[in-house]
Amino acid sequence: MIKTKNLIKIFRTDEVETTALNNVNLEINEGEFVAIMGPSGCGKSTLLNIIGLLDNPSEGEMHFNGYQVENYTERQRTNLRKENIGFVFQSFNLIDELTVFENVELPLLYMKVSGSERKRRVNEALERMNIAHRAKHFPQQLSGGQQQRVAIARAVISNPKLILADEPTGNLDSANGEEVMNLLTQLNEEGTTIIMVTHSPSDADRSHRIIQLFDGHVVTENMRQKL
Amino acid sequence: MIKILLNTVIRNLYKQKVYSIVNILGLATGVTCTLLILIWVNYELSFDTYHKDIERIYTVYENQKYADGDIFSVYSTPSPLAESLKEEYPEVEYASRLVSTWGQLVLSANGKTFVETGGKIVDPDFFKIFSIPVLYGDYISPLSNESTIVLSRRLSEKLFGDIDPIGLSIEINSNYQFIVGAVVENAPENSSIHYDFFLPFKFFKEYWEYDLSDWEANSFHLFVKLKDGANSEYLAENIRHHVRQRIPYSNVELDLQAFEKYHLYSISKNKSGPIWYVQVFLLVAVLILLIACFNYMNLATARSERRAREVAIRKVVGAQRRGLVGLFLTESIVFTTIALGLGIVFVELLLPVFSDLTNRTLTLNPGNLKFLIAVVLIVLSTGVLSGSYPALFLSSFLPIQVIRGVFRQDSAMLRKVLVIIQFTMSIALFICTCVIYKQLNFLKDSDVGYNKDNIVYVEMLDDFYEEYSELKGELLKIPGVHWVTAANQMPVNFLNSTWDVNWPNKSVDSEDVLFQLSFVDFDFIETFEMDVIQGRGFSNQFGEDTLKFIINESAAEKMGMVYTIGEKISLWNYTGEVIGIVKDFNFNSLQVGVDPLIMMRKPSSFKYIGIRVGEDKDPIINKIRKVWNRKFSHIPFNYRLLEEDFNYFYQAESRMGKLFASFTAIAFIISCLGLFGLVSFITENKAREVALRKVFGANVDNVFQLLFKEILKWIVLSIAIAWIISFFAMEWWLNGFAYRIEMGIGIFIMAAVLSLLVACLTIYRQIARLVTIAPAHVLKYE
Repeated sequence: MIKTKNLIKIFRTDEVETTALNNVNLEINEGEFVAIMGPSGCGKSTLLNIIGLLDNPSEGEMHFNGYQVENYTERQRTNLRKENIGFVFQSFNLIDELTVFENVELPLLYMKVSGSERKRRVNEALERMNIAHRAKHFPQQLSGGQQQRVAIARAVISNPKLILADEPTGNLDSANGEEVMNLLTQLNEEGTTIIMVTHSPSDADRSHRIIQLFDGHVVTENMRQKL
Repeated sequence: MIKILLNTVIRNLYKQKVYSIVNILGLATGVTCTLLILIWVNYELSFDTYHKDIERIYTVYENQKYADGDIFSVYSTPSPLAESLKEEYPEVEYASRLVSTWGQLVLSANGKTFVETGGKIVDPDFFKIFSIPVLYGDYISPLSNESTIVLSRRLSEKLFGDIDPIGLSIEINSNYQFIVGAVVENAPENSSIHYDFFLPFKFFKEYWEYDLSDWEANSFHLFVKLKDGANSEYLAENIRHHVRQRIPYSNVELDLQAFEKYHLYSISKNKSGPIWYVQVFLLVAVLILLIACFNYMNLATARSERRAREVAIRKVVGAQRRGLVGLFLTESIVFTTIALGLGIVFVELLLPVFSDLTNRTLTLNPGNLKFLIAVVLIVLSTGVLSGSYPALFLSSFLPIQVIRGVFRQDSAMLRKVLVIIQFTMSIALFICTCVIYKQLNFLKDSDVGYNKDNIVYVEMLDDFYEEYSELKGELLKIPGVHWVTAANQMPVNFLNSTWDVNWPNKSVDSEDVLFQLSFVDFDFIETFEMDVIQGRGFSNQFGEDTLKFIINESAAEKMGMVYTIGEKISLWNYTGEVIGIVKDFNFNSLQVGVDPLIMMRKPSSFKYIGIRVGEDKDPIINKIRKVWNRKFSHIPFNYRLLEEDFNYFYQAESRMGKLFASFTAIAFIISCLGLFGLVSFITENKAREVALRKVFGANVDNVFQLLFKEILKWIVLSIAIAWIISFFAMEWWLNGFAYRIEMGIGIFIMAAVLSLLVACLTIYRQIARLVTIAPAHVLKYE
């Protein structure tokens, strides 16, 4: 599903050049649950952003679902992204001005799904995340765990093939973190590919494979036995 | 989608109450000013447009060319011109002279007597040229019968009540009988020609003993209506020398002015007429709306940090840039629409004051198609313009930058530029207002060469010079009445002129020097406290003193006399000696200079009694009224004060000055809102820097200074630019006056100090809040 070849990402300012990713070669298959780990600043989030088509690499190839995308324009990336990828962030990234229902509905609006269909799917997703009773509330009225469940509902609403989670439990207490990880595991079991950046070894334990990054290099790839 | 879009916008609006209120108020104020100005401009442009076929109606006017190259353009034309043009030029379908009755007439009918001044003498063609609805009487050709009078509805009701007065008789000045031939609708307020009644030329000829076949006298407005399809330019070219063909030594060239331009455009080549005000205020409307738009841009982009995350999330989940541009434009259009609603309420509330200020009856007519189009255009243009930059700027955020936290505020520079432009415009408007006021005060207060204060004057009816002598004697007995004189006109507005003046050794170059002419009585110079440079004024100590002349300095200079009296000069066919030379005094608006003037004593021409009274005018005027009523019980005592007339000269300017001042104040308020927005943005952005500085030892004063310096340097830059712009604009404006002030540095410094003060007051609270906030509070959110 995802293949990178000699992926390099360099950040340049006027005087400093920082290599965030250096010759990263990866292959992730459909249905996998992959955890990316490593110390702060090692390039985990950069890799996730490039895989998530939020950013282009400086050099190298990036294949997504059979398309070679490293030179795609913003518009092309957006189109590919909205059909195929869902995002879950550490800081939830919900829009404060929209209700829970509207936040979850947002991707469907940009996919031009009809009103009745949107309503059905949003309600279904909220039920599934066990947050339907909060549909009319605004994000700030919810707990962190609830907000992250809303964010997951938003990520899955378009039935994406891939979910990218950037430290999804980073802002949550252990009970809420556990609940979120259960949801992600469940989604993976239903066939969704999941790539998750995490600092938490226990969260990483849920994955099939752990990719260790250090200073922009892939150091090790550990296959794990699915529990 | 639209519903969701609107929902989001309205929620945003509600959530950020202060921001929304500031923004909507800014836009509403801009929209209010623009609407007020547009309503006024629309009114000015509507003048006379109700006349059918107005594009075929023209005014014939004279360009009088003088030796020094001056061209004096006047609407006055000779009486025979109307008939002559109609006969000789097939393009002219109708032609009518128009002249106001000279002074007041006493109309008696139905047992009532009124003194009326609103009479017009016109030809029957007048009613074919202009669309004046006939209510009663001769619909086809009012006034074609020379023994008829045409009344306006107002006068008809005043004299006869609600009845149809056709056929009833009216007596004028006790010895002229007329039959009411027609009653016509009153002139609308937006008409250039106002009237209470119309009389035929036969009356004019008999009553004022005027030779209507004289090509050399020019007392008449002339209106023509051309045949359908006639070429006016061709006609104007052909009639140019029409007068000169009859009077070979005449300096008159004729020209045509489209009647559509009669109200707003001047016929003088170097003057633009009231259209100038229309243009200036349209510019002011555009400037204020621009300032309001900049304000919105400023405030909207100032919140970019807040909005960046929203934009990023929307983009991550699939929004394209176009959709986001739509979102922000919808937002600005919603803001503008709310502002417009508010603006319309403000306009309703302010219209009475604004009508007063403009001296027009202005109304808001929301059903009017033009108004609706204007409103839609204002909303769309303001909405799109003010929303354009925020929309493009905010939608350009790359989600990755926002998520990575490297998102930068690239709009800061532009925002500073916008605030600089806003302040530049406001300060420039302020300086212009001050200069306009200073110039107007200068005109009002400057020495006009005579004492215009404490002069009461009354218009006399004809033929009572004999009675005047007796009246004068009685008036002078009243304590507080210092001088009494008579003249054909008061010095505020001399209207008579001639070039038929001769003196010894008159050169060819001086052949067509235009002399102003005034007929004045004994004690005229003393009553008005004019300065006699040489000789004396007219006085009954020297007998009748007729066939003597008093001239002003300019006239003496033109005649080459170096202040010598006793020279013989001739005016028309009168020859006599110069008995006095007076210092130049202004007998017209100070916008024009002083022309050469000749004064002569000619009692048959006297029309006004001028009385110099003491400071405490009211009781003296009451005593004058008693004397008047005793002598002329049938004529109301309608007096005027010369200083009021004098102020009337500057009424238009002073009105415009007040308007200008109001709009300047508004521009300043909106600009301050803009600055407020910018400072909120800066404080939001600088919070971290300030906290860190404080952690490392900066005290409150250091930080205060730092922030004030940063903001005030833009204001200083605005002041510098505004100084330059307003200096050149006002130099240009002042050069249009014959007497003008020097601007002086005072106004400029005052503008600078005031704008710095206003700016400081606007930003003080926010900066104070920022510098007193505990660093831990800011840094913990890092």
